[in-house]
Amino acid sequence: MDNWVDVAFFTTWLAASVRLAGPVMLAALGEVLSERAGVLNIGIEGVILLGALGAYLGAAGSGSAWVGLLAAAGVGLVCGLLLSWMYVSARASQVVTGIVFNLLALGLASFVYRQAVAAGFSESVPMLEPAAWQQDLAKLPLVGPALFGQPPLLYATLGLAALASFVLYRTRFGLSVRAVGENPRAADAAGISVVKTRYAGVLISSVAAALAGAYLMVCEVGLFRDGIVSGQGFIALAIVILGHWSPGRVALAALLFGAADALQLSLQLRGWGLPPQVLLAFPYVLALLAICGVFGRSTRQPRALMQPLEN
Amino acid sequence: MPLAIERRLEPLQSRFAVTSAAVGAVLLALVVCAALFAMVGVNPLEAYASLMAEAFATERGIGYTVVRATPLILIALGTIVAWRTGFGYLGFEGCFVVGAAACTAIALHGNPGGVLEDWPRLPMLLLCGAASAAAGAAWAGLVGWVRIRWGGSEVLMSLMTNYIALLLVQYLVSGPLRAPGGLPQSARLPENSWLPLLMEGSRAHAGIFIALTSAALVWLLLRKTPLGYEMVLSGLSPRAARYGGIAVGRRQLQAAMLAGALGALAGLAQVLGVHYRLMDGMSGGIGFIGIVVALLARLNPAGVVPVALLYGGLSVGADAMQRATGTPSSITFILQALIVLLVLASPVVLRWRVVWRGRASREGGTLAQGVGRG
Repeated sequence: MDNWVDVAFFTTWLAASVRLAGPVMLAALGEVLSERAGVLNIGIEGVILLGALGAYLGAAGSGSAWVGLLAAAGVGLVCGLLLSWMYVSARASQVVTGIVFNLLALGLASFVYRQAVAAGFSESVPMLEPAAWQQDLAKLPLVGPALFGQPPLLYATLGLAALASFVLYRTRFGLSVRAVGENPRAADAAGISVVKTRYAGVLISSVAAALAGAYLMVCEVGLFRDGIVSGQGFIALAIVILGHWSPGRVALAALLFGAADALQLSLQLRGWGLPPQVLLAFPYVLALLAICGVFGRSTRQPRALMQPLEN
Repeated sequence: MPLAIERRLEPLQSRFAVTSAAVGAVLLALVVCAALFAMVGVNPLEAYASLMAEAFATERGIGYTVVRATPLILIALGTIVAWRTGFGYLGFEGCFVVGAAACTAIALHGNPGGVLEDWPRLPMLLLCGAASAAAGAAWAGLVGWVRIRWGGSEVLMSLMTNYIALLLVQYLVSGPLRAPGGLPQSARLPENSWLPLLMEGSRAHAGIFIALTSAALVWLLLRKTPLGYEMVLSGLSPRAARYGGIAVGRRQLQAAMLAGALGALAGLAQVLGVHYRLMDGMSGGIGFIGIVVALLARLNPAGVVPVALLYGGLSVGADAMQRATGTPSSITFILQALIVLLVLASPVVLRWRVVWRGRASREGGTLAQGVGRG
């Protein structure tokens, strides 16, 4: 053991963990609402990509990152309407719709991006940086950069985790969502509109996913690329399972994932022996174990997940 | 308003209505994409014509079309076997790369100094095929086994295994199988492991025969054998199948393994027929496109070959069009996805009807409605 585990190492690692966890946490929190209402929104991978594209168009077109965020939210709303119509009203298979929507998003994003560049949009966009007051706090040893050096969206996401938890467990709407995801027939008999509740769930998850795309765009990358999402939507699905469909635990699971991802980066920089792929595969293996119930029965998914309501 | 849309009491179910709704959906997708073509300043009719011309009219184009269609056919067949048995497998990206890696690991031994150096082509290919199929069967079978043993959604589990497989191959090409040099890829495979080319001057390789044979076998399996019957029954209604004495879990495990083997052979066709080496990121979404091909063929093994050829041709034509006119080739992704989404949604129109309300009938209508509500 040389001095490769020093304070600097942990400082960078912690900061990178939080940084990498941000976008997937946002997407996963939205997905919790959708899955709790009984809809497996596999399409979030594509929505994240289109959200990133929307953020790019908005930010590059206006010169403001905030307009980019707004544009992404709009894109998320449109995607959510399309997806929820397919899932709920057309009663198409949720798996098939999601997979095909991801392919559609891939084609559409690549197409629109090329048109935008051809029309003279700049390649890079203005980004949301940490505010000035954060600079001093971020100088704290060890935890400074991790806690205070993050872009504003990270703090908003943590706030959303608390909000999602409150909404899901403490409000009438949250009760409807959980009822519809567990037993839509009973919920229907109790006077809850299954259709409206599921639309709401899918819309929330799509807007959150689109904002996650915007997060990638205006807080992390700054450039649009076809491969910008590269499976983060699917990672979010895994995180939802790891987090047992509960917003608080999902936020923790996202941090765990970020930590594994960041550790792999840090160790690579240090020239460590273990192949980085082993650590990268960690969250997926964990998710796999969680899905098949190794961590106990509480990992049970909402009972009506993936089941369109027949009438 | 004399025209109105109202809900039918029963959705239309006649074959004609269902088919025409699907055809209408395809036409609508073509129209939407025509609008996209017009947006980028290309005449839609010319664009559609040139999409087809390159892929199906020139010998070179047909060769490329066949090359593109080969792995799609195999993955689509895997999808059909798994989904018809009620196993919602989505792990074909993983099976593809695992199969590619397995045949690479074997074929590399045919290089000078390896134990398989003097092997003739046929036994070499058979060995590679066996290794690929076994690896794919084991890979998908693992999900099947876990699902049957412990439960859990195979849809989500197979999505996760895709990434594990991609990382595994990434590790192999940057570690144990890496050839000296800059890129993370394996050494070039020896010629005695290459799938033979079908025609001089065309890239079409013998992998298409693997695909066609598999299609025939899968069709025979599902339509003509007791095992296939039990598989399909397990998919249609697991409960009924169980009452009928069918071991549903075992059938699903078998389906998963067969699907994995087929997906792995798609990877083999790509390595031994096109690239001649294992590379990082060589699947590039093909595992999902294969699933879409299966859906467009309505999970019917006989429909897979024409649909895959059509899709392969579309993508070849789109690439040619991009080179010639600068029209983005991503438009085929859009077209294909739109077709599937609209076909999926098309039953909606069967639940509604358009009615013409003349003055007289309108009054009658309101009266009838009032009675109906009361």
